[in-house]
Amino acid sequence: MKKNIKADFPIFEQYPDLCYLDNAATTMMPKSVVNRITQFYTSEKANIHRGGYMLSNQATSNYESVRHKVAAYLHAESDRCIAFTRGTTESINIVARSLASGLSEKNNLVTTLAEHHANFLPWQQICEESGAELRVANLTKEGILDVDHLASLIDHNSRIVAVNHVSNVTGAINDIAKIVSLAHDQDIPVLIDAAQSAFLHTLDPEQVPYDFLTFSGHKLLGPFGIGVLYTSPRYQDMIKPLNVGGGMVYTVDKENTYYKPYPQLIEAGTPDVAGAIGLGAAIDYINQLDKGSVAAQLQELSVYAYQSLSQIDQLQFVGRPDEKSPIFAFNLEGIHPHDAATFFDKDQIALRAGLHCAQPLHQRFNLPASIRISLSIYNEQKDIDRLIVSTKELVDFWS
Amino acid sequence: MTKEEIQLLYKRYIMPESKSPHSFQEAVDYTDLISAYNPMCGDKFSLKITLSNSQITGCSFQGFGCAVSKASTSILLKSIEGLSIKESITLCENFIQEIDGNLTGLTFDEPLKVLSLLKDFDGRIDCIKLSWVHLLTHLIKRSNEN
Repeated sequence: MKKNIKADFPIFEQYPDLCYLDNAATTMMPKSVVNRITQFYTSEKANIHRGGYMLSNQATSNYESVRHKVAAYLHAESDRCIAFTRGTTESINIVARSLASGLSEKNNLVTTLAEHHANFLPWQQICEESGAELRVANLTKEGILDVDHLASLIDHNSRIVAVNHVSNVTGAINDIAKIVSLAHDQDIPVLIDAAQSAFLHTLDPEQVPYDFLTFSGHKLLGPFGIGVLYTSPRYQDMIKPLNVGGGMVYTVDKENTYYKPYPQLIEAGTPDVAGAIGLGAAIDYINQLDKGSVAAQLQELSVYAYQSLSQIDQLQFVGRPDEKSPIFAFNLEGIHPHDAATFFDKDQIALRAGLHCAQPLHQRFNLPASIRISLSIYNEQKDIDRLIVSTKELVDFWS
Repeated sequence: MTKEEIQLLYKRYIMPESKSPHSFQEAVDYTDLISAYNPMCGDKFSLKITLSNSQITGCSFQGFGCAVSKASTSILLKSIEGLSIKESITLCENFIQEIDGNLTGLTFDEPLKVLSLLKDFDGRIDCIKLSWVHLLTHLIKRSNEN
């Protein structure tokens, strides 16, 4: 089954020996997604919502059908909860900007040390502008969110709790049900950065009633440039557009403009239609997988990777969460991550070195940088074996 | 560049230079402090130089960085010690242009020649240039003040 999955991804035909371990940065696209985007550009291209002709109507219908597909994928109550954005970063900025005008010095926003900058800077920026307080929950030495500390930060003056579902550095999986419950006890909305989790750890909003959730298509086997913002019906009226322009209004005259409601409200201008259609094809691909079996295999591979890496004496993990996604950050004693990445690259092992847009987390562990590997459904045990051989060779070379 | 070539460069030049860098120490007396930081990888050096009558009479550095950026900073400081601000600016400009591939045919002393070979490292140009770019910016500013 694993072999068949890898065969679906044309990048591995181009680079048969590529050991791709940078899936937290972006996932590869299956052939069906590439073909669907090509098909749109070769025989279906037209702008949406504007034409009175067949191609435009078809493009509109295909674009809107992806909204429906995303809603079904997330188990959202309605297609109207789903807005297309450029990605996770833009989605969070939209929510932050929407909150900004109502903030004052008495308010606070709650986030964590484990956030990607995309889920940290927007909140920090609007706090600086408004005088509101940014409250940042700690991590334990294992890299796990200190939920008790988070709970102590939430009060009736909080305006949002913004957390990741899965850390892009340690892979730690947050207990979103608990966090949502804590925030909702005080009637505070919760935003979930699902960039690292939307693929295999979807949350059912009926069981975990979050208020905002966002992810990027390119981390879900889809193309760059398309993302999703889910907003629950209760908070849709508070969302304000980052951009104004065509496609998001009912009427415009010299004095007044009447805007369409969310989600069209935040989709001004020509959207990334091909990107949305590509995302739809990615969801189709995921839906035809046996998700339970794929997730189980990936979990097995993750355990194998952890056990194999643990045997290297010179390797120190950044955090050791029990509940984790297959993302590992580590350092090799005396070897700078960037130097290590250069040597791994020469063995055709693609991984990431640096701060992974998570400086507060690295500061928490007093680390200037780290090496990160992240697995996906097309990775195999032999990828981990190659990583281990290469790591041991590097350690020997450096000693 | 093959793996064997990279291993050779590291073994012969980068590792010795980064393990025993030039003036990698806490300086007490200095006139100028330059911070060289790469937010993508976390490399961060503090360069301390002493300027006297528009001459660089002393320099040292401290901080954290990969072997390439550390070796490059070490070679940079060795190269500018004793030069005037103007000569240092010219050296930095030429070296950065060479690394970026915008200038060819320049002749450099041996350590710089080796360093310039590293421009073929995929994705390591920023490591090589880190301290050079920050020092150049600072020296141009200082030059304009005089």
